Amino acid sequence: MSAHLEIAGLSVAFRDHQEERPLLEGVSLTLTRGEILGLVGESGSGKSLLCRTVIGLMPSRKLHVTEGSVRLDGDEILGRDMGAIRGRRIGMIFQNPTSHLDPVMTIGNQIREGLARHKGLDDRAARAEAISLLTQVGFPDPAHAFASYAHQFSGGMRQRAMIAVALACDPEILIADEPTTALDVTVQAQILRLLMELRDRRGLSIILITHDLGVVAQTCDRIAVMRHGKVVETGAKRALLAEPQHAYTRELIASHPSMPHPEDAPETHPHDRRPIFEIDGLDVSFPMGGGFLTGHREVRAVKGVSLRIWPGETVGIVGESGSGKSTLARAMLGLTRVSGGDITFDGSVLTKERDKTLKHLRSDAAMVFQDPFNSLNPRMTVGQTLAEVLRTQGETPRGRIAARIGELLDLVGLNRSFAARRPRSLSGGQCQRAGIARALAVNPRVIIADECVAALDVTIQAQIVDLFRDLTRRTGLTLIFIAHDLAIVRNLCERVVVMRHGEIVEDGPSARVLHRPERSYTAALIAAIPDINPDRPLNGGQPLTQQEYAT
Amino acid sequence: MRRYRFVLVRPFQLIPVLFGISVITFVLVRLIPGDPARILLGTRATPTAIANIRAQYGLDEPIWVQYLYFLKNLAAGEMGKSTLYKVDTLKLIVTRIEPTLALVVAGVVLALVIAVPFAAISARRQGTAADHAIRIVSTAGIGFPSFWLGAMLIILFAVRLDWLPVSGYGDSLGDKLLHLILPGLTIALSLSAVITRSLRAGMIAGLSSDVAVAARARGMPESVVFWRHVVPNALVPTVNLLAINVGWLIGGTVVVESVFAVPGLGQLMVRGIFSRDYMVVQGVALTFAVATVLINFLADVVTVALDPRVEL
Amino acid sequence: MTATTLSPRWSARFGRRPMLLTGLSILGAFVAMALLAPLVAPYDPIFQDAAVKLQPPSLAHPFGTDNFGRDVLSRVIWGARIDLQIAVIGVIFPFLIGTGIGTIAGFFGGWVDTLFMRIIDVVLAFPFLVLMLSIIAILGPGLGSFYIAMALVGWVSYARLIRAQILVLKTQDFAVAAASLGFSRLRIMFRHLLPNALAGSLVFVMSDAVLVLLNGAAISYLGLGVQPPVAEWGVMVAEAQGFITQAWWITLFPGLAIVTLAFGFSLTGDALADLLGVHE
Repeated sequence: MSAHLEIAGLSVAFRDHQEERPLLEGVSLTLTRGEILGLVGESGSGKSLLCRTVIGLMPSRKLHVTEGSVRLDGDEILGRDMGAIRGRRIGMIFQNPTSHLDPVMTIGNQIREGLARHKGLDDRAARAEAISLLTQVGFPDPAHAFASYAHQFSGGMRQRAMIAVALACDPEILIADEPTTALDVTVQAQILRLLMELRDRRGLSIILITHDLGVVAQTCDRIAVMRHGKVVETGAKRALLAEPQHAYTRELIASHPSMPHPEDAPETHPHDRRPIFEIDGLDVSFPMGGGFLTGHREVRAVKGVSLRIWPGETVGIVGESGSGKSTLARAMLGLTRVSGGDITFDGSVLTKERDKTLKHLRSDAAMVFQDPFNSLNPRMTVGQTLAEVLRTQGETPRGRIAARIGELLDLVGLNRSFAARRPRSLSGGQCQRAGIARALAVNPRVIIADECVAALDVTIQAQIVDLFRDLTRRTGLTLIFIAHDLAIVRNLCERVVVMRHGEIVEDGPSARVLHRPERSYTAALIAAIPDINPDRPLNGGQPLTQQEYAT
Repeated sequence: MRRYRFVLVRPFQLIPVLFGISVITFVLVRLIPGDPARILLGTRATPTAIANIRAQYGLDEPIWVQYLYFLKNLAAGEMGKSTLYKVDTLKLIVTRIEPTLALVVAGVVLALVIAVPFAAISARRQGTAADHAIRIVSTAGIGFPSFWLGAMLIILFAVRLDWLPVSGYGDSLGDKLLHLILPGLTIALSLSAVITRSLRAGMIAGLSSDVAVAARARGMPESVVFWRHVVPNALVPTVNLLAINVGWLIGGTVVVESVFAVPGLGQLMVRGIFSRDYMVVQGVALTFAVATVLINFLADVVTVALDPRVEL
Repeated sequence: MTATTLSPRWSARFGRRPMLLTGLSILGAFVAMALLAPLVAPYDPIFQDAAVKLQPPSLAHPFGTDNFGRDVLSRVIWGARIDLQIAVIGVIFPFLIGTGIGTIAGFFGGWVDTLFMRIIDVVLAFPFLVLMLSIIAILGPGLGSFYIAMALVGWVSYARLIRAQILVLKTQDFAVAAASLGFSRLRIMFRHLLPNALAGSLVFVMSDAVLVLLNGAAISYLGLGVQPPVAEWGVMVAEAQGFITQAWWITLFPGLAIVTLAFGFSLTGDALADLLGVHE
């Protein structure tokens, strides 16, 4: 087996006037012909920059290669004219197909553009070849897809289109930069399966960049782990996962949510008291589009949901995008108009005695949001934000507010000096802790956390999940944890509610739901989670449903 | 074709706006203190003329009935008689549309001809001396008063170089075009400053956009990346900008027509104000407002054609 | 990113912001010129000296003289008083009215919002200058009429801007968070939404000042604003037009003054947009 692509001692630095900062330091990697190499690391590890450097597309003019070499089939390509190499020999696909596909050019023309440039095909031949490519990447109606624009497809199909556009140039090597991160798990499984098929069929060598060790475990032959611009460890997949050498690799593996946590399956609470939330036949609809002469259309985001949540419970609500889980959460807090059914909070009926229940909810329930930066007022310091909540709640005497802010920061593991900082100067994890501190400032009996770890790196995710576990154990808090990721929920929640298309599909103790799901959808969802154990293979590649095809 | 269905629906949606426009133009003239009949006819009107206009506009009726009379007259194409020109306002407006329309079209076309290459040079050579120069000139250009710019162009091209006529409007087509060059250029230069800035920003964003990165990663040469992927995407917001600036553009023609003595609608309006020819002022304001609404409608059609994502 | 994070080393930061520095320097120079006009202007701006009619620029009259023998430089300097006033007063009233109405529309929503939006649609249907001229036609020429017309017409841009910002901000997580924490609607509006929305309109104030200045000068040029013999740049260009074939300097310098002042507003606006992280 020969080295297809060999990166040796590659260093890249950011240079601005006198300032010079290394971003990649002595990175060496080998991609063997026909293999899938998993490049794993968290944000800022330099994994994307490495690949951009290889094809000569560094994101800024202030970045420079300081030393090292990149050999393609033994030939040095660093500093060479990349026109004939990019696309033609090394192709690339990206995380966000929506922004990487040209929105005002048809998918067919984007494919044809590559075919004309790299293979010199005329219009008719290019069209035939493009249709064949669209078939290969799984479009059920390739002729229609050829004439369509990116926005007319769902996220998964857009990713397939981007793969077809990259393959049009017929590359030997494909660099896939987080190709499935923005997708639902079941769709992710399909795309990963497609990549493996393409490797087999076309003899591609693939570098798969990802933050998810599970994805790597399921698809790759070898793994390289990066951190702070360096490769900390490389090795064959099974060996590396079984016996990680570097401390950071061990931390990454331990943080992976599909690893059973040492204190897995939290015990269930006895339901002797009155439920804190009682939801009966809840309907939430939004008006969508339409208007004058075209009639009003409605989207039913939540359809007839009934749910009981008892005090002290930790409940995970899981579903893919569009399942209605976030809408349900907002309706429970009285933040969204309800079109039908009842929500009862601690004995008072929100849908009947709105003002009274809202007052009750505002002092006993709080929410934590997905995007930590967007959920804090950018113009206020963390301290001002917390003080405002404490003053509004009115339970803390004025003189005690400063002290209470300190206590809240302690509680979420932030240094007290953070009170003086604004959201923009915090990292994602720190910002999310501040968001949790704000929720705790209410001194709530219930916290609803909406996808609150989805935007964070895995090791940070694990820390935040630990923080929640600690809080629920110490304070008897009721936690409703909304996520698209079943694996995270399994480690934290005693009970899981699975939603799909606005309805509850399954509801039961975590251990039971995850190990013996009663509904086929839950089973498919579980099977699609890329497990870190390579011997528990990925389930995927089921035929597309009509819904997955179009947006 | 489904995306173009709004073309059939939109005229109905414009009814409230057109209604509002008619109310404002009606109320404006009625707000002038004094006897409306005398205001509309001028001070030297004969008693018969006053009696006639009272009947035609229902001036003895309550104000809302007067408004209905106003609408009825409008529907019949009656905008009233100009006191200055002694002709029906509508006829007057029709004869004055051509130079104004020609100015607006020439202004927009010339502005694009100037702005697109400059924005392209500026965006593709970001940070170079050429870029800095274009940025400074276009930023300063926004603040060029059109009456002054026009006067300076006259000084340079008509007085010093004696290449072009100082002012006025010709009779033959060639003569007209010759007379339109300087006023058209005045409008175009002001407008091109705005367009250059917006296009440059759009192109720079486009050059570092994911779409461009993906095209480069497919081995597309920089010129293909720019002209085939960056420019079409940057044009969409520019069309919107043009639509937003239509009102501003028409206001510009009013001033420029005064500078160059072009016998268009703007000049008609300004003369009307000075000679208290309120029928004319009212009629021109109404015409300009309706034109603005129509042009915005047109811009929506262009946007839908340029951007397949837009649904109206 | 935000204006409020200006550190004590602000002077050092200033040095790295040439746009802001240049913009503010230009504005400062014009303010100084306006305030000190009696001291710095070499001649009386309306004094007519028949002996020096239509003189080209010279040491005695650096910008030349006009057809009445008035010193153009002195008139340009005194003009700063009127034209700065036009830009400032012409922006303040629309800003205050528009921000108020935009806030009310965004805050209450429903029929209040619909009503204001319809009014805004109608006002925007008219070309700005055409509506201004129509109003001035009724009120009669003069600076006072200009300010009234400006307030009646100019508020719509601010109202639309603020309302749009508030509608976007309302859906942001931090606004939803504020609602979920039991803050009153008034508090959410004025403490959380409005300060964030105002950043955008502060930048707009600067580009609007340019438009108001140009409109004010244009209306004076047309003879419907400031009246002669007051030294105002638009009036000066209008008066110069009769002598356009003989005396280019009477036209050139007042126009350059407008261009420079407008450039100062534009640069400051661009720099503020950078500083506040606002993208138009």
